[in-house]
Amino acid sequence: MKVKVKVRRFNPEKDHRPYWGEYQLEAQPTDRVLDLLVYIKGYIDGTLTFRRSCAHGICGSDAMVINGRNRLACKELVKDVGRTIVIEPLRGLPVIKDLAVDMEPFFRKYRSILPFLINDEPPPYTERLQSPEARERFDDTTKCILCAACTTSCPSFWANDSYLGPAAIVQAHRFIFDDRDRGAQARLAILAEADGVWRCRTIYNCVDACPREIDITRAIGEVKKLLLVE
Amino acid sequence: MSKLARVTLSQFLTYRGGQPMLAWLLHRIAGIGIVLFVGMHVLAAFFLYGVTGGTANTVANALTEFYESRPMQIFILFAVLYHGINGLRIVVLDMWPGLHRFHREAMWLQWAVFLPIFLIPAFLIALGIKIG
Ligand code: FES
Repeated sequence: MKVKVKVRRFNPEKDHRPYWGEYQLEAQPTDRVLDLLVYIKGYIDGTLTFRRSCAHGICGSDAMVINGRNRLACKELVKDVGRTIVIEPLRGLPVIKDLAVDMEPFFRKYRSILPFLINDEPPPYTERLQSPEARERFDDTTKCILCAACTTSCPSFWANDSYLGPAAIVQAHRFIFDDRDRGAQARLAILAEADGVWRCRTIYNCVDACPREIDITRAIGEVKKLLLVE
Repeated sequence: MSKLARVTLSQFLTYRGGQPMLAWLLHRIAGIGIVLFVGMHVLAAFFLYGVTGGTANTVANALTEFYESRPMQIFILFAVLYHGINGLRIVVLDMWPGLHRFHREAMWLQWAVFLPIFLIPAFLIALGIKIG
């Protein structure tokens, strides 16, 4: 089948403003949007820039806006997106070139919630054991691949780029509800600040955008509730 | 930071968020509507009593005429009901995070509650029918 791909392009070194690049190509219904981009770069216009690494939905490099929604290009099939495919870079992060955005502001927020095990107690002779039930408590939020699809789909983040954003809160949730971790208080203090969890307005764009189907608003809700009862 | 990090209004409006994004927008519009409505009331009262001491005042009259017009009555009915009912949905979901799983169903339930409570009186106001 013939498809038309429209890509929001911008090269800060030569363009004054972003423009739409249009490409017609032949595609299979089972092709992924990423395959189309690879084809365009290989055979039509080598200057097209985008990120990808694993191409299997696990590294989180190729989140982009596909037909108006944040998606991973390597997980979207042509048959599900239609014959006209409009692709834009993620909203709210600085564009480096075409579809590649500067992820640094996003990772800065990720680092700010202390995304590592905090526990000063001397480690036992063997591992720090955890029951299956305790592990289950935060299972959902361990699935995050830090692709930024959620954070950049959030109107609260668009309006205020100092908001921590759903991804950072999901990562905080992963450690706060881990019974081997002792850093919950430090993280909750960060999340309770003005740019923390309370900026979440329960809009659910993040839940729809998450390629890992994490129930993000629930995780944020659990953190909010914990702050409330603490 | 490059200026392209700023999300423009058109980017905002072309993001295809679901129903809850619309609900959030309406919630905001309704909230601002209520503030303006109450503000007009206060302003009209100020002009009437504070400026002309209770006798006819053209500004007060114009304001009162505006906010008592039928479209405004219907708008404020919408704003108060929507803001209230949508707010309740969010409070319930926030208090019991486990329910977030059912957020789509919650949206439909909200419309089912909101529409009859809003449409019937709105209809009566629009037709100018008074009860009692
Ligand atoms: S390329 Fe790794 S997630 Fe898509």
